[in-house]
Amino acid sequence: MTSTPDLIHELKVSRPTAPTALRARVREISAQETARAPWPKLRFPVRRAALIAVPTAAAVAFASAGVLGLTRSGGTTQAFREEAQANKVTTEDGPAYGALDTLTVPAPGASGGGRDSAIGPTNDRAQRVSATLTVEVPDSDAVSRAAQDALDLTRRLGGHVVSASVATGTEGSAALTVRVPVGKVQEAIVGLSALGRIVSQQVTIEDLQETLDALERREASVRSQIARITARLESEPLDAETRAVLETRVKTLRAELRGLRRGISGTHAEARMSTIQLTVVTPGAFGAVAPPDRLDRTIDEALNVLAWEAVIVLAVLIVMAPFALAACAAWLGRRFYRRREEERLLAA
Amino acid sequence: MHAVTLDAPRSVESKAPPFAAVAEELLDDVYGYLLYLTKNWAVAEDLTSETFEAAFKKWRRFDPRRGTPRAWLLAIARTTALDWFRADSRRQRREERADAAEPPRDSEGAFGEGLSPALEDGLRALTAGEREVVALRVVLDLDSEETARLLGITPTAVSTRLSRALAKLEERMRDHDVDA
Repeated sequence: MTSTPDLIHELKVSRPTAPTALRARVREISAQETARAPWPKLRFPVRRAALIAVPTAAAVAFASAGVLGLTRSGGTTQAFREEAQANKVTTEDGPAYGALDTLTVPAPGASGGGRDSAIGPTNDRAQRVSATLTVEVPDSDAVSRAAQDALDLTRRLGGHVVSASVATGTEGSAALTVRVPVGKVQEAIVGLSALGRIVSQQVTIEDLQETLDALERREASVRSQIARITARLESEPLDAETRAVLETRVKTLRAELRGLRRGISGTHAEARMSTIQLTVVTPGAFGAVAPPDRLDRTIDEALNVLAWEAVIVLAVLIVMAPFALAACAAWLGRRFYRRREEERLLAA
Repeated sequence: MHAVTLDAPRSVESKAPPFAAVAEELLDDVYGYLLYLTKNWAVAEDLTSETFEAAFKKWRRFDPRRGTPRAWLLAIARTTALDWFRADSRRQRREERADAAEPPRDSEGAFGEGLSPALEDGLRALTAGEREVVALRVVLDLDSEETARLLGITPTAVSTRLSRALAKLEERMRDHDVDA
């Protein structure tokens, strides 16, 4: 009886050997080797090409992003700073809404000056004037000096300090809120602007005249009503109930009159003094506009270009995806079919 | 003769050996494989010639770093054999339709000298797929991984197929012994 090891042994020792005629035929085929052309045929190996093409495409994408980033990042940092600030002024000088007006003040980046170009509040109308200024000074010591100068200027112009906060250290900063007479606001802004390089600025004028006129009209009306009722109470014989109603009415009107007077007085006070918020910063301090350097801008631009390249690649992939899927499915289907066919053929 | 040298571990820098040397070394392996697959010496000879012609044309593309010359040649032999099986299958269908089936070609002593008639019969009773795995794993002594790569199946499937084939052979031979 034959066991598996015996079978295997028999199969191994009885390995088929090629007949002599076949060996001769194969030798003939091999002999053609020397007669073949010494130059290999030009072929296009897809895998190798992909191996080169993919990194090359990536390198080109990065290089183009770098070159475009470098080109678009512009010239010097100072030029960029001026350009950025010019854009900011344009934004802040945009159209005013409602009763708000925006004043033209010394341009950012300028140190002092600008008096000629400044326009001020109109003297014949009650207006609320407020300004916000940010100036940059070279270092922490200069912050203290600027804050002190701002306080001195405020006092000299007849104003007062509402709040002041000065922080010194490596990145010093100061925040001051001062009130100066409206008539001196131009002078104050120009003076405060001269404390350093202007980083940002905004002056807002809100018209209070209409409010004031309304309050005054209402005051006159209330006074007149009080006078009429008082005269009636004094001159006419009234029953007790009517008298009580009229007296209550007079009380209410007097209370309203007191409120109106306070309102008128407050509005006048508001229109007399302007509020200026001044921030003094050093370069790099929180709140300061630190213009990016050339390297940062180059990286930003390069990243933008890379993002666009990625978008394009993604779009191409989205367009190609259905075709690729169809091709993949066809390839898999063909492979499956061939495998099944092979199994069928070899099952015979 | 066995292709020990050519199956030795490959060096990354290795260069393809001359085709003539490879052909001389592996002719018996290719022929034996095709003989087991087709169980017909005449067809095996034709297919062996075709295999070496095709291999000769593709020889420049052979990369020793990606496989042994034996595995490469056997893969070409397999493709050539499958093409023949397809053509033969079509031919048989045509003949069946025409009702003019040709008697099978003589394949006496197909599997080489020295095999017992019982084993010859047993091999003939196996399917082509079973004979193929016997040829590769037993006769040509390919390892399980290499055989699996060549057949496009898993090593487990190779082992299963081989076990089934050997069991069938054993059974056939047992039957033969009983008949005798």
